[in-house]
Amino acid sequence: MDSSTPYVIETSNLGKTYKNIQVLNALNLKVQHNSIFGFLGPNGAGKTTTIKLLLGLIRPSSGSACVFGMDSVSQSVDIRARIGYLPQEPHFYEHMTARQTLIFTAGFFFKGPKKAIQERVDEMLELVGLDEKADRPIRTFSGGERQRLGIAQAQVNYPDLLILDEPAASLDPLGRRDVLDVMSRLRKYTTIFYSTHILDDVQRVSDTVVILNKGELVVEGSIEELLTGNKGVVYNIHLKGDIEAARTQVLSQPWVSGIITGQHNGDTTWQVSVTDPLAAEARLFKLLADSRVEVTEFRRMKYELEDIFVQVIEGGQNGRK
Amino acid sequence: MAGNSAFALVQERGWRRGLGNMLRNEMGRWWKTRRWWVNCLIWGGSIGLILGGTLFGKANNPPTGEAAAIVYAIFAGLIPAVAVVIMTQGAVVGEKNDGTAAWVLSKPVTRPAFILSKLIANSLGVVATMVALPGVVAYTMVAVASGSPWNPVAFLAALAVIFLFDFFFLSLTLMLGTLFNSRGPVIGIALVLLLMQQYLIGMLPGLRYILPWNLVVPTGEQVDAVVPCLLVGSHNYSTVPILVVALASILFILVGLYRFNCEEF
Repeated sequence: MDSSTPYVIETSNLGKTYKNIQVLNALNLKVQHNSIFGFLGPNGAGKTTTIKLLLGLIRPSSGSACVFGMDSVSQSVDIRARIGYLPQEPHFYEHMTARQTLIFTAGFFFKGPKKAIQERVDEMLELVGLDEKADRPIRTFSGGERQRLGIAQAQVNYPDLLILDEPAASLDPLGRRDVLDVMSRLRKYTTIFYSTHILDDVQRVSDTVVILNKGELVVEGSIEELLTGNKGVVYNIHLKGDIEAARTQVLSQPWVSGIITGQHNGDTTWQVSVTDPLAAEARLFKLLADSRVEVTEFRRMKYELEDIFVQVIEGGQNGRK
Repeated sequence: MAGNSAFALVQERGWRRGLGNMLRNEMGRWWKTRRWWVNCLIWGGSIGLILGGTLFGKANNPPTGEAAAIVYAIFAGLIPAVAVVIMTQGAVVGEKNDGTAAWVLSKPVTRPAFILSKLIANSLGVVATMVALPGVVAYTMVAVASGSPWNPVAFLAALAVIFLFDFFFLSLTLMLGTLFNSRGPVIGIALVLLLMQQYLIGMLPGLRYILPWNLVVPTGEQVDAVVPCLLVGSHNYSTVPILVVALASILFILVGLYRFNCEEF
Protein backbone atom coordinates (compact mmCIF):
# COMPACT_ATOMS: atom_id res chain seq x y z
CA MET A 1 0.00 0.00 0.00
CA ASP A 2 1.23 3.49 -0.82
CA SER A 3 2.18 5.10 2.45
CA SER A 4 3.24 8.24 0.60
CA THR A 5 -0.37 9.12 -0.18
CA PRO A 6 -2.70 9.78 2.71
CA TYR A 7 -5.75 8.81 0.69
CA VAL A 8 -6.53 5.85 -1.51
CA ILE A 9 -8.86 7.94 -3.64
CA GLU A 10 -8.67 11.69 -4.04
CA THR A 11 -10.66 13.63 -6.58
CA SER A 12 -10.35 17.28 -7.34
CA ASN A 13 -13.31 19.07 -8.95
CA LEU A 14 -13.97 15.93 -10.96
CA GLY A 15 -16.60 16.48 -13.61
CA LYS A 16 -18.12 14.65 -16.55
CA THR A 17 -20.32 15.99 -19.31
CA TYR A 18 -22.10 13.92 -21.94
CA LYS A 19 -23.43 15.85 -24.92
CA ASN A 20 -23.71 19.08 -22.93
CA ILE A 21 -25.38 17.33 -20.00
CA GLN A 22 -23.42 17.62 -16.78
CA VAL A 23 -23.65 14.21 -15.08
CA LEU A 24 -20.97 14.89 -12.50
CA ASN A 25 -20.07 18.30 -11.21
CA ALA A 26 -16.89 19.29 -9.35
CA LEU A 27 -16.72 16.23 -7.13
CA ASN A 28 -14.18 16.33 -4.33
CA LEU A 29 -13.72 13.04 -2.52
CA LYS A 30 -11.14 11.73 -0.12
CA VAL A 31 -11.19 8.06 0.79
CA GLN A 32 -8.95 6.87 3.57
CA HIS A 33 -7.00 3.63 3.70
CA ASN A 34 -8.81 0.58 5.03
CA SER A 35 -12.15 2.30 5.25
CA ILE A 36 -15.49 1.17 3.93
CA PHE A 37 -16.79 4.09 1.94
CA GLY A 38 -20.49 4.07 1.05
CA PHE A 39 -21.43 5.96 -2.04
CA LEU A 40 -25.15 6.75 -2.10
CA GLY A 41 -27.50 8.47 -4.43
CA PRO A 42 -30.65 7.97 -6.46
CA ASN A 43 -30.51 6.55 -9.97
CA GLY A 44 -28.69 8.91 -12.29
CA ALA A 45 -26.90 10.69 -9.47
CA GLY A 46 -23.50 10.01 -11.04
CA LYS A 47 -22.28 7.10 -8.89
CA THR A 48 -21.40 4.72 -11.72
CA THR A 49 -19.91 7.58 -13.72
CA THR A 50 -17.61 8.37 -10.79
CA ILE A 51 -16.56 4.73 -10.52
CA LYS A 52 -15.83 4.53 -14.24
CA LEU A 53 -13.78 7.71 -14.02
CA LEU A 54 -11.73 6.21 -11.20
CA LEU A 55 -11.09 3.10 -13.28
CA GLY A 56 -10.13 5.08 -16.38
CA LEU A 57 -12.96 3.56 -18.41
CA ILE A 58 -14.11 7.09 -19.20
CA ARG A 59 -12.23 10.37 -19.19
CA PRO A 60 -13.09 13.36 -17.04
CA SER A 61 -14.42 16.49 -18.74
CA SER A 62 -12.94 18.56 -15.92
CA GLY A 63 -10.89 18.09 -12.79
CA SER A 64 -8.88 15.01 -11.95
CA ALA A 65 -8.88 11.84 -9.91
CA CYS A 66 -5.99 10.11 -8.22
CA VAL A 67 -6.05 6.53 -6.97
CA PHE A 68 -3.05 5.41 -4.87
CA GLY A 69 -1.56 8.77 -5.85
CA MET A 70 -1.70 7.87 -9.54
CA ASP A 71 -3.60 9.80 -12.19
CA SER A 72 -6.75 8.00 -13.35
CA VAL A 73 -6.17 8.91 -17.00
CA SER A 74 -2.46 8.53 -17.63
CA GLN A 75 -1.83 5.70 -15.14
CA SER A 76 -5.14 3.87 -15.31
CA VAL A 77 -3.59 0.48 -16.08
CA ASP A 78 -1.30 0.70 -13.03
CA ILE A 79 -4.29 1.69 -10.93
CA ARG A 80 -6.36 -1.22 -12.21
CA ALA A 81 -3.54 -3.60 -11.34
CA ARG A 82 -4.30 -2.90 -7.68
CA ILE A 83 -8.08 -2.77 -7.86
CA GLY A 84 -10.84 -5.33 -7.76
CA TYR A 85 -13.99 -4.11 -9.49
CA LEU A 86 -17.52 -5.39 -9.54
CA PRO A 87 -19.62 -3.67 -12.22
CA GLN A 88 -23.26 -2.84 -11.57
CA GLU A 89 -24.35 -5.47 -14.08
CA PRO A 90 -21.52 -7.97 -14.37
CA HIS A 91 -21.04 -9.32 -17.90
CA PHE A 92 -18.72 -12.25 -18.43
CA TYR A 93 -17.94 -14.50 -21.38
CA GLU A 94 -21.02 -16.71 -21.49
CA HIS A 95 -19.20 -19.78 -22.81
CA MET A 96 -16.74 -19.82 -19.91
CA THR A 97 -17.35 -21.55 -16.61
CA ALA A 98 -17.04 -19.72 -13.30
CA ARG A 99 -13.68 -21.41 -12.73
CA GLN A 100 -12.37 -20.42 -16.17
CA THR A 101 -13.54 -16.86 -15.60
CA LEU A 102 -11.60 -16.60 -12.35
CA ILE A 103 -8.47 -18.16 -13.88
CA PHE A 104 -8.76 -15.73 -16.81
CA THR A 105 -9.17 -12.80 -14.40
CA ALA A 106 -6.23 -13.91 -12.24
CA GLY A 107 -4.08 -14.10 -15.39
CA PHE A 108 -4.18 -10.31 -15.72
CA PHE A 109 -2.59 -9.88 -12.31
CA PHE A 110 -0.27 -12.71 -11.46
CA LYS A 111 1.25 -15.93 -12.63
CA GLY A 112 2.40 -18.92 -10.68
CA PRO A 113 2.07 -22.65 -10.25
CA LYS A 114 -1.20 -23.97 -11.63
CA LYS A 115 -1.97 -25.62 -8.32
CA ALA A 116 -1.61 -22.36 -6.38
CA ILE A 117 -3.82 -20.51 -8.86
CA GLN A 118 -6.35 -23.30 -8.66
CA GLU A 119 -6.35 -23.06 -4.88
CA ARG A 120 -6.92 -19.31 -4.99
CA VAL A 121 -9.79 -19.81 -7.45
CA ASP A 122 -11.33 -22.52 -5.27
CA GLU A 123 -11.01 -20.25 -2.24
CA MET A 124 -12.91 -17.49 -4.05
CA LEU A 125 -15.57 -19.87 -5.34
CA GLU A 126 -16.13 -21.15 -1.83
CA LEU A 127 -16.22 -17.64 -0.41
CA VAL A 128 -19.16 -16.71 -2.64
CA GLY A 129 -20.85 -20.09 -2.48
CA LEU A 130 -20.30 -21.08 -6.09
CA ASP A 131 -18.02 -24.05 -5.44
CA GLU A 132 -20.66 -26.52 -6.57
CA LYS A 133 -21.38 -24.59 -9.75
CA ALA A 134 -17.77 -23.88 -10.62
CA ASP A 135 -17.77 -25.87 -13.84
CA ARG A 136 -21.09 -24.76 -15.24
CA PRO A 137 -21.07 -22.32 -18.18
CA ILE A 138 -22.01 -18.80 -17.12
CA ARG A 139 -24.87 -18.68 -19.62
CA THR A 140 -26.76 -20.97 -17.21
CA PHE A 141 -26.23 -18.67 -14.20
CA SER A 142 -29.00 -16.65 -12.56
CA GLY A 143 -28.59 -12.94 -11.84
CA GLY A 144 -27.64 -13.63 -8.23
CA GLU A 145 -25.04 -16.22 -9.25
CA ARG A 146 -23.50 -13.79 -11.71
CA GLN A 147 -23.35 -11.22 -8.93
CA ARG A 148 -21.58 -13.72 -6.66
CA LEU A 149 -19.13 -14.53 -9.43
CA GLY A 150 -18.61 -10.80 -9.89
CA ILE A 151 -17.69 -10.49 -6.24
CA ALA A 152 -15.30 -13.43 -6.50
CA GLN A 153 -13.52 -12.08 -9.58
CA ALA A 154 -13.17 -8.68 -7.92
CA GLN A 155 -11.23 -10.24 -5.06
CA VAL A 156 -9.18 -12.89 -6.82
CA ASN A 157 -6.16 -10.56 -7.15
CA TYR A 158 -5.90 -9.59 -3.46
CA PRO A 159 -6.83 -5.98 -4.33
CA ASP A 160 -5.71 -2.99 -2.28
CA LEU A 161 -8.95 -1.30 -3.26
CA LEU A 162 -12.28 -2.96 -3.93
CA ILE A 163 -14.72 -0.93 -5.99
CA LEU A 164 -18.18 -2.43 -5.89
CA ASP A 165 -21.02 -0.95 -7.88
CA GLU A 166 -24.25 -2.08 -6.22
CA PRO A 167 -22.74 -5.30 -4.83
CA ALA A 168 -25.92 -6.60 -3.23
CA ALA A 169 -28.40 -5.47 -5.86
CA SER A 170 -29.33 -8.88 -7.26
CA LEU A 171 -28.86 -10.91 -4.11
CA ASP A 172 -31.43 -12.45 -1.80
CA PRO A 173 -31.32 -11.45 1.90
CA LEU A 174 -28.91 -14.27 2.77
CA GLY A 175 -26.64 -13.38 -0.12
CA ARG A 176 -26.71 -9.76 0.99
CA ARG A 177 -25.77 -10.73 4.50
CA ASP A 178 -22.88 -12.83 3.17
CA VAL A 179 -21.60 -9.95 1.03
CA LEU A 180 -21.69 -7.56 3.97
CA ASP A 181 -19.86 -10.09 6.12
CA VAL A 182 -17.19 -10.49 3.45
CA MET A 183 -16.82 -6.72 3.23
CA SER A 184 -16.42 -6.42 6.98
CA ARG A 185 -13.80 -9.17 7.01
CA LEU A 186 -11.83 -7.59 4.17
CA ARG A 187 -11.62 -4.24 5.90
CA LYS A 188 -8.27 -5.02 7.52
CA TYR A 189 -6.67 -5.91 4.17
CA THR A 190 -8.25 -3.49 1.78
CA THR A 191 -10.21 -0.30 1.24
CA ILE A 192 -13.76 -0.74 0.00
CA PHE A 193 -15.52 1.87 -2.07
CA TYR A 194 -19.03 0.86 -2.93
CA SER A 195 -22.18 2.34 -4.31
CA THR A 196 -25.58 1.17 -3.25
CA HIS A 197 -29.15 2.20 -2.78
CA ILE A 198 -29.74 -0.28 0.08
CA LEU A 199 -29.44 2.08 3.01
CA ASP A 200 -29.56 -0.61 5.70
CA ASP A 201 -26.38 -2.10 4.27
CA VAL A 202 -24.59 1.22 4.34
CA GLN A 203 -25.60 1.81 7.93
CA ARG A 204 -24.32 -1.63 8.90
CA VAL A 205 -20.86 -1.63 7.41
CA SER A 206 -19.75 1.82 6.26
CA ASP A 207 -17.32 4.13 8.02
CA THR A 208 -17.90 7.08 5.76
CA VAL A 209 -20.84 7.96 3.58
CA VAL A 210 -21.27 10.29 0.69
CA ILE A 211 -24.60 11.15 -0.85
CA LEU A 212 -24.58 12.27 -4.42
CA ASN A 213 -27.55 13.93 -6.11
CA LYS A 214 -27.77 15.15 -9.69
CA GLY A 215 -24.04 14.87 -10.05
CA GLU A 216 -23.24 16.87 -6.95
CA LEU A 217 -22.00 15.83 -3.56
CA VAL A 218 -24.66 16.87 -1.08
CA VAL A 219 -23.66 15.09 2.12
CA GLU A 220 -20.41 13.66 3.36
CA GLY A 221 -19.43 12.41 6.77
CA SER A 222 -18.80 9.50 9.03
CA ILE A 223 -21.79 7.30 9.64
CA GLU A 224 -21.91 8.45 13.29
CA GLU A 225 -21.96 12.10 12.29
CA LEU A 226 -24.75 11.56 9.82
CA LEU A 227 -26.87 9.47 12.15
CA THR A 228 -26.49 12.03 14.91
CA GLY A 229 -27.80 14.66 12.54
CA ASN A 230 -26.74 18.21 12.03
CA LYS A 231 -28.58 19.52 15.08
CA GLY A 232 -26.18 17.87 17.52
CA VAL A 233 -27.47 15.44 20.16
CA VAL A 234 -31.17 15.80 20.81
CA TYR A 235 -33.30 14.11 23.47
CA ASN A 236 -36.96 13.48 22.79
CA ILE A 237 -38.93 13.65 26.04
CA HIS A 238 -42.66 13.30 26.82
CA LEU A 239 -43.79 14.86 30.14
CA LYS A 240 -46.74 15.45 32.43
CA GLY A 241 -46.91 17.70 35.51
CA ASP A 242 -45.30 21.02 36.48
CA ILE A 243 -43.59 21.63 33.20
CA GLU A 244 -42.55 25.27 33.61
CA ALA A 245 -40.41 24.72 36.71
CA ALA A 246 -38.73 21.76 35.11
CA ARG A 247 -38.12 23.73 31.95
CA THR A 248 -36.43 26.55 33.85
CA GLN A 249 -34.33 24.03 35.70
CA VAL A 250 -33.21 22.22 32.54
CA LEU A 251 -32.53 25.40 30.58
CA SER A 252 -30.27 26.65 33.36
CA GLN A 253 -27.82 23.83 32.70
CA PRO A 254 -24.72 24.97 30.76
CA TRP A 255 -24.82 21.90 28.50
CA VAL A 256 -28.40 22.52 27.30
CA SER A 257 -28.58 24.68 24.20
CA GLY A 258 -32.34 24.80 23.73
CA ILE A 259 -35.74 23.18 24.15
CA ILE A 260 -38.43 22.94 21.51
CA THR A 261 -41.83 22.38 23.13
CA GLY A 262 -44.85 20.66 21.61
CA GLN A 263 -47.90 18.55 22.43
CA HIS A 264 -48.61 14.90 21.77
CA ASN A 265 -51.72 12.98 23.03
CA GLY A 266 -52.08 15.29 26.00
CA ASP A 267 -48.41 15.09 26.93
CA THR A 268 -45.97 17.91 26.61
CA THR A 269 -43.10 17.01 24.32
CA TRP A 270 -39.64 18.47 24.47
CA GLN A 271 -36.78 18.22 22.06
CA VAL A 272 -33.80 19.09 24.23
CA SER A 273 -30.64 19.95 22.32
CA VAL A 274 -27.45 19.42 24.28
CA THR A 275 -23.86 20.38 23.71
CA ASP A 276 -22.31 17.81 26.05
CA PRO A 277 -23.83 14.37 25.43
CA LEU A 278 -21.97 12.80 28.38
CA ALA A 279 -23.26 15.33 30.88
CA ALA A 280 -26.75 15.00 29.43
CA GLU A 281 -26.63 11.24 29.66
CA ALA A 282 -25.58 11.40 33.29
CA ARG A 283 -27.82 14.19 34.53
CA LEU A 284 -30.80 15.02 32.33
CA PHE A 285 -33.11 12.24 33.42
CA LYS A 286 -32.24 12.75 37.11
CA LEU A 287 -32.93 16.46 36.79
CA LEU A 288 -36.40 15.77 35.44
CA ALA A 289 -37.14 13.20 38.11
CA ASP A 290 -36.15 15.68 40.81
CA SER A 291 -38.42 18.33 39.27
CA ARG A 292 -41.54 16.29 40.04
CA VAL A 293 -42.66 15.85 36.49
CA GLU A 294 -43.81 12.50 35.16
CA VAL A 295 -41.59 11.34 32.33
CA THR A 296 -43.59 9.10 29.99
CA GLU A 297 -40.96 8.81 27.28
CA PHE A 298 -37.26 9.56 27.23
CA ARG A 299 -34.97 8.73 24.36
CA ARG A 300 -32.01 10.08 22.55
CA MET A 301 -33.01 10.94 19.00
CA LYS A 302 -31.15 9.14 16.29
CA TYR A 303 -31.63 9.60 12.61
CA GLU A 304 -31.91 6.65 10.30
CA LEU A 305 -29.82 6.95 7.19
CA GLU A 306 -33.02 6.71 5.22
CA ASP A 307 -34.31 9.90 6.91
CA ILE A 308 -31.16 11.73 5.94
CA PHE A 309 -31.24 10.34 2.42
CA VAL A 310 -34.86 11.34 1.84
CA GLN A 311 -34.25 14.71 3.46
CA VAL A 312 -31.32 15.60 1.24
CA ILE A 313 -32.71 14.17 -1.97
CA GLU A 314 -36.33 15.30 -1.70
CA GLY A 315 -35.67 18.36 0.37
CA GLY A 316 -33.11 19.35 -2.22
CA GLN A 317 -30.69 19.78 0.62
CA ASN A 318 -28.76 22.13 -0.68
CA GLY A 319 -29.02 21.82 3.08
CA ARG A 320 -25.55 20.48 2.81
CA LYS A 321 -23.98 19.23 5.92
CA MET B 1 -1.33 -6.44 -2.63
CA ALA B 2 -1.82 -8.75 0.30
CA GLY B 3 -0.89 -11.61 -1.95
CA ASN B 4 0.35 -15.14 -1.95
CA SER B 5 4.10 -15.68 -2.11
CA ALA B 6 3.61 -18.44 -4.69
CA PHE B 7 2.53 -15.84 -7.22
CA ALA B 8 4.60 -13.39 -9.22
CA LEU B 9 3.09 -10.22 -10.63
CA VAL B 10 2.60 -10.12 -14.38
CA GLN B 11 5.56 -8.21 -15.77
CA GLU B 12 4.24 -6.87 -19.08
CA ARG B 13 4.67 -3.13 -19.41
CA GLY B 14 3.45 -0.33 -21.66
CA TRP B 15 0.96 -1.13 -24.41
CA ARG B 16 1.66 -4.89 -24.02
CA ARG B 17 0.06 -4.93 -20.57
CA GLY B 18 -2.48 -7.76 -20.52
CA LEU B 19 -1.63 -8.90 -24.05
CA GLY B 20 -0.41 -12.36 -23.02
CA ASN B 21 -3.54 -13.17 -21.05
CA MET B 22 -5.86 -11.75 -23.72
CA LEU B 23 -4.01 -13.65 -26.42
CA ARG B 24 -4.31 -16.93 -24.50
CA ASN B 25 -8.02 -16.30 -24.18
CA GLU B 26 -8.51 -15.40 -27.85
CA MET B 27 -6.39 -18.33 -29.01
CA GLY B 28 -8.51 -20.56 -26.81
CA ARG B 29 -11.58 -19.55 -28.79
CA TRP B 30 -9.92 -21.08 -31.86
CA TRP B 31 -7.96 -23.98 -30.50
CA LYS B 32 -9.86 -25.08 -27.39
CA THR B 33 -13.21 -25.23 -29.14
CA ARG B 34 -14.45 -27.04 -32.24
CA ARG B 35 -13.84 -23.95 -34.32
CA TRP B 36 -10.45 -25.10 -35.58
CA TRP B 37 -11.50 -28.49 -36.85
CA VAL B 38 -14.80 -27.23 -38.25
CA ASN B 39 -12.88 -24.67 -40.29
CA CYS B 40 -10.27 -27.23 -41.32
CA LEU B 41 -13.05 -29.50 -42.49
CA ILE B 42 -14.92 -26.78 -44.38
CA TRP B 43 -11.98 -25.18 -46.15
CA GLY B 44 -9.84 -28.27 -46.67
CA GLY B 45 -12.91 -30.19 -47.82
CA SER B 46 -14.31 -27.51 -50.11
CA ILE B 47 -10.98 -26.91 -51.85
CA GLY B 48 -10.58 -30.64 -52.21
CA LEU B 49 -14.02 -31.02 -53.78
CA ILE B 50 -13.86 -27.98 -56.05
CA LEU B 51 -10.31 -28.55 -57.22
CA GLY B 52 -11.01 -32.25 -57.55
CA GLY B 53 -13.86 -31.40 -59.91
CA THR B 54 -11.55 -29.17 -61.93
CA LEU B 55 -8.61 -31.56 -62.02
CA PHE B 56 -10.33 -34.89 -62.35
CA GLY B 57 -13.76 -34.01 -63.76
CA LYS B 58 -14.57 -35.00 -67.36
CA ALA B 59 -15.49 -31.45 -68.41
CA ASN B 60 -11.97 -30.20 -67.86
CA ASN B 61 -10.09 -33.21 -69.04
CA PRO B 62 -7.22 -32.59 -69.39
CA PRO B 63 -7.16 -29.51 -67.11
CA THR B 64 -4.83 -26.62 -67.72
CA GLY B 65 -2.46 -25.46 -65.02
CA GLU B 66 -3.99 -22.00 -65.34
CA ALA B 67 -7.51 -23.26 -64.74
CA ALA B 68 -6.47 -25.09 -61.60
CA ALA B 69 -4.57 -22.05 -60.34
CA ILE B 70 -7.51 -19.70 -60.99
CA VAL B 71 -10.02 -22.01 -59.33
CA TYR B 72 -7.73 -22.44 -56.35
CA ALA B 73 -7.08 -18.68 -56.02
CA ILE B 74 -10.77 -17.79 -56.15
CA PHE B 75 -11.98 -20.47 -53.79
CA ALA B 76 -9.06 -20.25 -51.38
CA GLY B 77 -9.04 -16.45 -51.36
CA LEU B 78 -12.43 -14.95 -52.04
CA ILE B 79 -14.78 -17.35 -50.27
CA PRO B 80 -12.85 -17.68 -46.97
CA ALA B 81 -12.75 -13.86 -46.81
CA VAL B 82 -16.55 -13.93 -46.54
CA ALA B 83 -16.18 -16.32 -43.62
CA VAL B 84 -13.54 -14.09 -42.03
CA VAL B 85 -15.96 -11.16 -42.09
CA ILE B 86 -18.82 -13.25 -40.68
CA MET B 87 -16.70 -14.83 -37.94
CA THR B 88 -15.03 -11.65 -36.75
CA GLN B 89 -17.92 -9.17 -37.14
CA GLY B 90 -18.74 -9.45 -33.43
CA ALA B 91 -15.18 -9.63 -32.12
CA VAL B 92 -15.16 -5.97 -31.10
CA VAL B 93 -18.69 -4.68 -31.51
CA GLY B 94 -20.14 -7.79 -29.86
CA GLU B 95 -17.97 -7.30 -26.80
CA LYS B 96 -18.85 -3.61 -26.68
CA ASN B 97 -22.56 -4.45 -26.72
CA ASP B 98 -22.37 -7.43 -24.36
CA GLY B 99 -20.46 -5.42 -21.76
CA THR B 100 -17.58 -7.88 -21.72
CA ALA B 101 -15.21 -5.28 -23.22
CA ALA B 102 -15.94 -2.95 -20.30
CA TRP B 103 -15.39 -5.79 -17.85
CA VAL B 104 -12.09 -6.87 -19.41
CA LEU B 105 -10.88 -3.29 -19.66
CA SER B 106 -11.50 -2.82 -15.94
CA LYS B 107 -8.54 -5.18 -15.48
CA PRO B 108 -4.91 -4.19 -16.08
CA VAL B 109 -5.06 -4.53 -19.84
CA THR B 110 -4.43 -1.81 -22.40
CA ARG B 111 -6.80 -1.10 -25.22
CA PRO B 112 -4.17 -1.85 -27.90
CA ALA B 113 -3.62 -5.23 -26.23
CA PHE B 114 -7.38 -5.89 -26.41
CA ILE B 115 -7.56 -5.18 -30.16
CA LEU B 116 -4.23 -6.75 -31.09
CA SER B 117 -5.04 -9.98 -29.26
CA LYS B 118 -8.07 -10.36 -31.50
CA LEU B 119 -6.10 -9.48 -34.60
CA ILE B 120 -3.25 -11.89 -33.83
CA ALA B 121 -5.37 -14.83 -32.67
CA ASN B 122 -7.75 -14.57 -35.60
CA SER B 123 -4.89 -14.13 -38.05
CA LEU B 124 -3.25 -17.31 -36.79
CA GLY B 125 -6.55 -19.17 -36.93
CA VAL B 126 -7.17 -17.97 -40.50
CA VAL B 127 -3.62 -18.79 -41.61
CA ALA B 128 -3.77 -22.31 -40.25
CA THR B 129 -7.30 -23.38 -41.13
CA MET B 130 -8.24 -21.23 -44.12
CA VAL B 131 -4.92 -20.68 -45.88
CA ALA B 132 -2.29 -23.30 -44.99
CA LEU B 133 -4.40 -26.45 -44.75
CA PRO B 134 -6.44 -25.85 -47.94
CA GLY B 135 -3.16 -24.83 -49.60
CA VAL B 136 -1.55 -28.15 -48.71
CA VAL B 137 -4.62 -30.00 -49.98
CA ALA B 138 -4.52 -28.07 -53.27
CA TYR B 139 -0.77 -28.45 -53.67
CA THR B 140 -1.01 -32.22 -53.17
CA MET B 141 -3.93 -32.59 -55.56
CA VAL B 142 -2.23 -30.58 -58.30
CA ALA B 143 0.95 -32.57 -57.83
CA VAL B 144 -0.95 -35.85 -58.07
CA ALA B 145 -3.11 -34.76 -61.03
CA SER B 146 -0.46 -33.13 -63.16
CA GLY B 147 2.65 -34.91 -61.98
CA SER B 148 4.42 -31.55 -61.69
CA PRO B 149 3.71 -29.68 -58.46
CA TRP B 150 3.67 -25.90 -58.21
CA ASN B 151 7.01 -24.28 -57.51
CA PRO B 152 7.23 -24.43 -53.67
CA VAL B 153 8.58 -20.90 -53.28
CA ALA B 154 5.95 -19.47 -55.60
CA PHE B 155 3.34 -21.52 -53.78
CA LEU B 156 4.40 -20.07 -50.41
CA ALA B 157 4.31 -16.56 -51.89
CA ALA B 158 0.81 -17.29 -53.21
CA LEU B 159 -0.27 -18.44 -49.74
CA ALA B 160 1.09 -15.18 -48.32
CA VAL B 161 -0.93 -13.18 -50.84
CA ILE B 162 -4.07 -15.19 -50.10
CA PHE B 163 -3.53 -14.45 -46.41
CA LEU B 164 -3.06 -10.76 -47.23
CA PHE B 165 -6.43 -10.80 -48.98
CA ASP B 166 -8.08 -12.33 -45.87
CA PHE B 167 -6.10 -10.06 -43.54
CA PHE B 168 -7.39 -6.98 -45.36
CA PHE B 169 -10.95 -7.99 -44.54
CA LEU B 170 -10.05 -9.10 -41.02
CA SER B 171 -8.46 -5.74 -40.17
CA LEU B 172 -11.29 -3.88 -41.94
CA THR B 173 -13.91 -5.78 -39.91
CA LEU B 174 -12.11 -5.16 -36.62
CA MET B 175 -11.76 -1.46 -37.46
CA LEU B 176 -15.45 -1.21 -38.32
CA GLY B 177 -16.17 -2.87 -34.96
CA THR B 178 -14.43 0.02 -33.23
CA LEU B 179 -16.29 2.61 -35.30
CA PHE B 180 -19.85 1.33 -34.95
CA ASN B 181 -21.99 0.12 -32.08
CA SER B 182 -24.07 -2.46 -33.92
CA ARG B 183 -23.21 -5.44 -36.07
CA GLY B 184 -25.23 -4.30 -39.11
CA PRO B 185 -22.83 -1.69 -40.46
CA VAL B 186 -19.82 -3.84 -39.58
CA ILE B 187 -20.85 -6.89 -41.58
CA GLY B 188 -22.71 -4.82 -44.18
CA ILE B 189 -19.85 -2.54 -45.16
CA ALA B 190 -17.25 -5.33 -45.15
CA LEU B 191 -19.35 -7.73 -47.24
CA VAL B 192 -20.53 -5.05 -49.66
CA LEU B 193 -16.92 -4.03 -50.26
CA LEU B 194 -15.88 -7.66 -50.66
CA LEU B 195 -18.63 -8.57 -53.09
CA MET B 196 -18.89 -5.28 -55.00
CA GLN B 197 -15.23 -5.08 -55.98
CA GLN B 198 -15.74 -6.55 -59.43
CA TYR B 199 -18.52 -4.07 -60.15
CA LEU B 200 -16.47 -1.14 -58.87
CA ILE B 201 -13.42 -2.15 -60.89
CA GLY B 202 -15.68 -2.49 -63.93
CA MET B 203 -16.73 1.14 -63.50
CA LEU B 204 -13.32 2.48 -62.50
CA PRO B 205 -10.58 0.17 -63.80
CA GLY B 206 -7.93 2.02 -61.81
CA LEU B 207 -9.42 0.53 -58.65
CA ARG B 208 -7.80 -2.81 -59.51
CA TYR B 209 -4.61 -1.33 -58.07
CA ILE B 210 -6.31 -0.28 -54.85
CA LEU B 211 -8.82 -2.99 -54.03
CA PRO B 212 -7.68 -6.49 -53.06
CA TRP B 213 -9.81 -8.17 -55.74
CA ASN B 214 -7.00 -8.55 -58.26
CA LEU B 215 -4.84 -10.36 -55.73
CA VAL B 216 -6.89 -13.50 -56.26
CA VAL B 217 -9.39 -12.94 -59.09
CA PRO B 218 -8.43 -12.03 -62.66
CA THR B 219 -10.08 -8.84 -63.90
CA GLY B 220 -10.59 -9.98 -67.49
CA GLU B 221 -9.91 -12.78 -69.90
CA GLN B 222 -6.22 -12.77 -69.17
CA VAL B 223 -4.71 -14.33 -66.07
CA ASP B 224 -3.58 -11.13 -64.37
CA ALA B 225 -4.36 -11.85 -60.70
CA VAL B 226 -1.37 -12.17 -58.43
CA VAL B 227 -2.02 -15.63 -56.96
CA PRO B 228 -2.68 -17.58 -60.17
CA CYS B 229 0.23 -15.77 -61.86
CA LEU B 230 2.58 -16.80 -59.05
CA LEU B 231 1.38 -20.40 -59.26
CA VAL B 232 1.81 -20.72 -63.04
CA GLY B 233 5.05 -18.71 -63.12
CA SER B 234 3.60 -15.77 -65.06
CA HIS B 235 4.76 -12.20 -64.52
CA ASN B 236 1.59 -10.70 -65.93
CA TYR B 237 0.57 -9.08 -62.63
CA SER B 238 1.12 -5.81 -60.81
CA THR B 239 2.72 -5.66 -57.37
CA VAL B 240 0.95 -2.37 -56.64
CA PRO B 241 -2.18 -3.98 -55.18
CA ILE B 242 0.00 -6.05 -52.82
CA LEU B 243 1.57 -2.89 -51.48
CA VAL B 244 -1.67 -0.91 -51.35
CA VAL B 245 -3.61 -3.70 -49.63
CA ALA B 246 -0.82 -4.20 -47.08
CA LEU B 247 -0.72 -0.46 -46.35
CA ALA B 248 -4.52 -0.25 -46.17
CA SER B 249 -4.58 -3.15 -43.69
CA ILE B 250 -2.03 -1.38 -41.51
CA LEU B 251 -4.09 1.81 -41.77
CA PHE B 252 -7.23 -0.07 -40.70
CA ILE B 253 -5.38 -1.41 -37.65
CA LEU B 254 -4.09 2.04 -36.71
CA VAL B 255 -7.52 3.64 -37.12
CA GLY B 256 -9.05 0.82 -35.07
CA LEU B 257 -6.50 1.27 -32.29
CA TYR B 258 -7.00 5.03 -32.26
CA ARG B 259 -10.78 4.79 -32.24
CA PHE B 260 -10.87 2.12 -29.54
CA ASN B 261 -8.56 4.23 -27.43
CA CYS B 262 -11.09 7.08 -27.57
CA GLU B 263 -13.99 4.79 -26.69
CA GLU B 264 -15.72 5.26 -23.34
CA PHE B 265 -17.20 2.25 -21.57
